[in-house]
Amino acid sequence: MSRAASRTGAALRPGLPPFLACLALLLAWQIAARFLAVGGVPDALSTFRELPAIIGDREALGEIAASLRRMGAGFGLALLFSVPLGLLMGRSRLVSALVNPLLMVGYPVPKAALMPLIMLWLGVGDAAKILVIVLGVSLPIIYHSRQGARAVEEKLLWSAAAMGMSGPARLARIVLPAALPEILVGCRTGIVLALITMITSEMIARQTGAGNILFNALDMAQYETVYAMILVVSALGIALDVLFERLRSGLTGWAEPIPSPAIAPA
Amino acid sequence: MSEALSAPLAGRGAPAVPHPGPPMIGMAGVTKTFKRRDGGTHLALDTIDLDVAPGEFVSILGPSGCGKSTLLYIVGGFVAPSGGKVTVSGDPVTGPGPDRGPVFQEFALFPWKTVLGNVAYGLREGGLSRRDAEARAGELIERVGLKGYERFYPQALSGGMKQRVAIARTLAYGPKILLMDEPFGALDAHTRIKLQNQLLELWERDRKTVLFVTHAVDEAVFLSDRVAVMSRQPGRIKEVVAIDLPRPRHRDELLLDRRYQRHVIDLERMIEDPPDLAS
Repeated sequence: MSRAASRTGAALRPGLPPFLACLALLLAWQIAARFLAVGGVPDALSTFRELPAIIGDREALGEIAASLRRMGAGFGLALLFSVPLGLLMGRSRLVSALVNPLLMVGYPVPKAALMPLIMLWLGVGDAAKILVIVLGVSLPIIYHSRQGARAVEEKLLWSAAAMGMSGPARLARIVLPAALPEILVGCRTGIVLALITMITSEMIARQTGAGNILFNALDMAQYETVYAMILVVSALGIALDVLFERLRSGLTGWAEPIPSPAIAPA
Repeated sequence: MSEALSAPLAGRGAPAVPHPGPPMIGMAGVTKTFKRRDGGTHLALDTIDLDVAPGEFVSILGPSGCGKSTLLYIVGGFVAPSGGKVTVSGDPVTGPGPDRGPVFQEFALFPWKTVLGNVAYGLREGGLSRRDAEARAGELIERVGLKGYERFYPQALSGGMKQRVAIARTLAYGPKILLMDEPFGALDAHTRIKLQNQLLELWERDRKTVLFVTHAVDEAVFLSDRVAVMSRQPGRIKEVVAIDLPRPRHRDELLLDRRYQRHVIDLERMIEDPPDLAS
């Protein structure tokens, strides 16, 4: 079976299938837009023609950069408290019993729905948007940190304790690295959620940012700009995900399955 | 600490030779009860009394579920007893400490550390500089026959190699007692024999005190000075048998030795469960 898989793998270049899939999607878009001719749906070609206008526009780039800054700040802040909290919950029944009900209540609340309230406290500036991103991102990171900490083998902790390591030190130096692969699964979900909450927050508190450009264009019926902006945001999302994957395999390469020799050329 | 605690060779194999001063490990009236789901209690260990002399190799032999590992965890300070007390060189055990080094069946290596990082870990914890710790770790890795594997992560190693890393990691920080919890239980027969030989070689060099949990009769006889046989439900020590076989021991000679065969047969009968409990 693995031999057959490697044969088809050898026939296709690794980048080819995704490229073909994208091409097919664009083609379908082009044809659908042409033949259905629904109002407000530009075809693929004219959307791509609009891209240089956004990428070449200093002001637009500045807005996108501001969006990314807020997203980074929100993600970083969330990471700072979510990972320790999740690890504590995973190792202490008391902490878990205290915090879990709060999380259960908070879980189904759409974080963007809190935006108007937060704007009342913090205004329409960066602080409100960053806070919404923090809220949007933290739950999956807490959840996965907790799962990771729970799954840590008791005997790893015992081995460290026998070396004289104290309880708090074990949390930072044994539980954290042992749970890292699982924590990073939460972070990956978190990054996508950060991107989503970023755009949504800018849609509600319109002032700056990529979301602002998008919805202003929508108001002015500049549909090519709307679609081009969606493409830009999606590309950002994919780029962030790829970067994160790189980081992840660098940090937790020790947990990766060993490449089987069957994959290597004979 | 007391590195020079090698026991005299004479008297080896005799049951609990009267020894000046406290035993290396003293277990007195140790009991352990667990809460059952239905609210009742389950008596896992019932008044265990056992002393281990400095430099002695003692095995706890019993069927699975007899509480022998729990007893080892109590000596390690990882699990608190429900009653009785455990002492190490006369001092009561209140928690884990670097004087007692565990080796687990599950290896319990730090997967994010290389072989070298694992073996050096306890030394770094003890305050050694990175350089000194790695130099000492390198020596131990060589001693357990893993030279050349220093930069490997545990995931890339076989079970036998992992356990050798775990033994080196524990020996590295110089515990005076080794607590071995079915260390070769997860290995195939061939690797198991290899590691038993290697453990005996290592032990005959530094004569650390060893408490060794196993359910394999031949392993207990081959390695030990004394074997404490446990029964289950509740876990009790049925009998303590002195293994009067000369050292250094060699497997091929022992297998032909009448006394070895006698011990194996006797112990096998002893750990047989009463028919109503056999599973």
